[in-house]
Amino acid sequence: MGPALTVTQVEAPAAGAALRLRGVSKAFAGVPALIDASLDVRPGKVHCLVGANGSGKSTLIKILAGVYQADQGTLSVGGRTIAAGAITPGWARDEGLSFVHQDLAIFPTMTVAENFAIGTSYPTVAGVKIRWSEVNARCEEAFEKFHIRAPLDAPLAAISAAQRTMIAIARAHQAQGEDAGAPVLILDEPTASLPPSEAQFVLDMARRCADDGGAVLFVGHRLDEILFVADDVTVLRDGRVVRSGPLGGMTKADLVEQIVGRELEQPPVPQAAATDATEPVLTVSGLAGGPLHDVALEVRPGEVVGIAGLVGSGRSRLLKAIAGVVPQRAGSVHVAGSEIARGDILAAIRAGVAYLPENRDADAIFGQLDVRENLSATDVGRFWRGLRLRHSEEAADAQQSIADFLIRTSSDRQPIMTLSGGNRQKVVIARLMRTAPKLLLLDEPTQGVDVGARHELHRLIRAAADGGAGVLLASSDLEELATNCDRVLVLASGGIVAELRQPEIDASRLARLSFPHDLEPT
Amino acid sequence: MLWNLERFMLLGLFAAVLVLFTVLPSTAATFPTAQNIRNVLSNESVVAILALGSMVPLVVGQFDVSVGATAGMAQIAVAATMSKHGWALVPAICSGLVIGTVVGAINGFLVAKARINALIGTLGVMTIIIGLVQLYTSGATIVTNISPNIVKLGSGTWLGIPPTTWILIGVALFVAYLLGQTPLGRHMHFVGSNPTAARLVGLRIDTIVFRAFVISGFFAGLAGALIVARNGNGDPSNGSNYLLPALTAPFLGATAIRPGRFNIPGTLLAIFFLAFTINGLNLAGVADWINNVFYGSALVIAVTLSAIVARHRAEST
Repeated sequence: MGPALTVTQVEAPAAGAALRLRGVSKAFAGVPALIDASLDVRPGKVHCLVGANGSGKSTLIKILAGVYQADQGTLSVGGRTIAAGAITPGWARDEGLSFVHQDLAIFPTMTVAENFAIGTSYPTVAGVKIRWSEVNARCEEAFEKFHIRAPLDAPLAAISAAQRTMIAIARAHQAQGEDAGAPVLILDEPTASLPPSEAQFVLDMARRCADDGGAVLFVGHRLDEILFVADDVTVLRDGRVVRSGPLGGMTKADLVEQIVGRELEQPPVPQAAATDATEPVLTVSGLAGGPLHDVALEVRPGEVVGIAGLVGSGRSRLLKAIAGVVPQRAGSVHVAGSEIARGDILAAIRAGVAYLPENRDADAIFGQLDVRENLSATDVGRFWRGLRLRHSEEAADAQQSIADFLIRTSSDRQPIMTLSGGNRQKVVIARLMRTAPKLLLLDEPTQGVDVGARHELHRLIRAAADGGAGVLLASSDLEELATNCDRVLVLASGGIVAELRQPEIDASRLARLSFPHDLEPT
Repeated sequence: MLWNLERFMLLGLFAAVLVLFTVLPSTAATFPTAQNIRNVLSNESVVAILALGSMVPLVVGQFDVSVGATAGMAQIAVAATMSKHGWALVPAICSGLVIGTVVGAINGFLVAKARINALIGTLGVMTIIIGLVQLYTSGATIVTNISPNIVKLGSGTWLGIPPTTWILIGVALFVAYLLGQTPLGRHMHFVGSNPTAARLVGLRIDTIVFRAFVISGFFAGLAGALIVARNGNGDPSNGSNYLLPALTAPFLGATAIRPGRFNIPGTLLAIFFLAFTINGLNLAGVADWINNVFYGSALVIAVTLSAIVARHRAEST
């Protein structure tokens, strides 16, 4: 059923292509993620790959890296062609594909020079002792070439994020320079976590790699950056290549139109919240911290307010700041009239905040414990009377939660990790609702949840709002926001750039608005 | 299926060991006697108290490797206050309990507030304690003026059972109550299972971890007093040899009864399984080196087994 694991020399790529994809398709459980995708990355050029969330960008990169196996299609690199389903991480490396992912694979406590040398083979004396003088010389040479200014003996943690990224790119470029094969550098959203001023360094870096003869595939979603750095552009929409070729005279409006499939309209100006009779349950003003700057918003009881935004826009950070999980730099947060001190989780909980973290299993589930214990995590003290825990009451409440929140489990004593992801999520939400929260902060509540459970979770969220809670719902799934929210705030580059209300909320508008528009390269 | 097999495997092994040494010709005459069983029970009750104490920090996900040395220092305090300062029995025992609790508070401060790695922090404290005991005693055993009442506690019987075993039963009930019947106990399980999630549900992790170390220190102090009762003296070389059994038992116990969790019946089962096996081997004429080899192997095997079982369970879901 899978493609044969053989590398055959079918045809040399047409002159000019260092990496050529032809007809690559991939479906997950019958749902197509990538359909008949083809593109050429030319040596000496920066080729940008753009698309909205869920357009198939990540799937394509993961196929190139050998993480996913494509169902159809071929890849040609340096004259060798392989079935795209047969790519392995080892093959990609041997053929000279170098990846720089967002997490960079760097070692913060080791020095700049050590980090640079990892991945290339260290020059040694008699195969044993590392010749540091030579490592340093190579390092200096590369830094000179790429305009990286960082002391070689500084720990990597001490230099700026942009410089760390540049070192990771220089390292990848260097690694492939060692054999004569076609050098292909794949940069997967290298600027996503950088402020625009720093991102510029990384863009220049990508350009220098291309000038040095490399073929660079650059994945990004800041359109100004794309327009600045791209020679060629491939746009993906709903798993299909909409266009692929030289940038030519494309404008930002053209690009947005191709990404979202409609014309760009003027972003609606965020309006002051409607003057409802009710007092807001959440008032945030002047909030700054991480990528966030000067964020102001209000949530009223009974309202489900969505937060849309790309990766790195500050979505998760906003919820964490309100929940007191990370301290904000400036600004104030009031919940139900009381101010939450910076980074004070307990004060937030006491004021009525319930926070659902994005990473459920790592941050919300007690994996060694059972369903009943996980449900009681916030309020086990309630069952302590007459100097002992009333286990029968705890069990009764657990069974009530299991019934109310449609948790599928054989009993309240079942180990939590034997439940499906969706049911684990329902356990966490049931736990949050036990505190009768005034404000629910939900970060990606349906991530990794099957379709049926998703639907049930959405109903539970709406029920919480109908019960009088204010809900702030952050999601990368724009369809989810469009169908479940009364209002959606769009975050871009750390600020709220738009606010949509029903009935004007739809996924493609949210997608358009999520792309930062006001960033001009300097 | 695998679940239940695992749950009762240690119990089965224990029964097999008892049967083996009861029928083995070289041990049949001595192993199954009331005298031998009482002797093992009495001795191991002290180890078991130490093990149950060290289990509390393990539940919150932290090691306390100082429990053996702490018991050794408390033992010297109890013996010395009686012998050198003429204290009465009860204040002398209290001095041991106070010392244990203070050491526990120091450990708790280092781990919970100063956020030092528990293994390193308590290892340092252990080494300091051993040094201080050496300084104070100059290596000499304290033998004079030990109250005969405390010796009676260590060697007599109440209702046919050694008093130290009665005390162990009390300690086991207390720890069972703490971990199973109080919010603090439940909070300890939360912190041990997932500290990040515990923080997000609003638990004060530092306070909970601090208390776990204080409890462990208190029981190490109690064990120290009982060592004086068992031996009738204060021997500065005592203490460190209690550490390995006290740490092995909770891990081995976590493979039994409630697999995957530190639990009291499992820990007690592990203590007595290890003790009766060693006792039988010694009676069969195997030299003393077997103690170290056996305890060491039991610890490694116990930890390996729990890791394998945990992986199995993760894969089967």
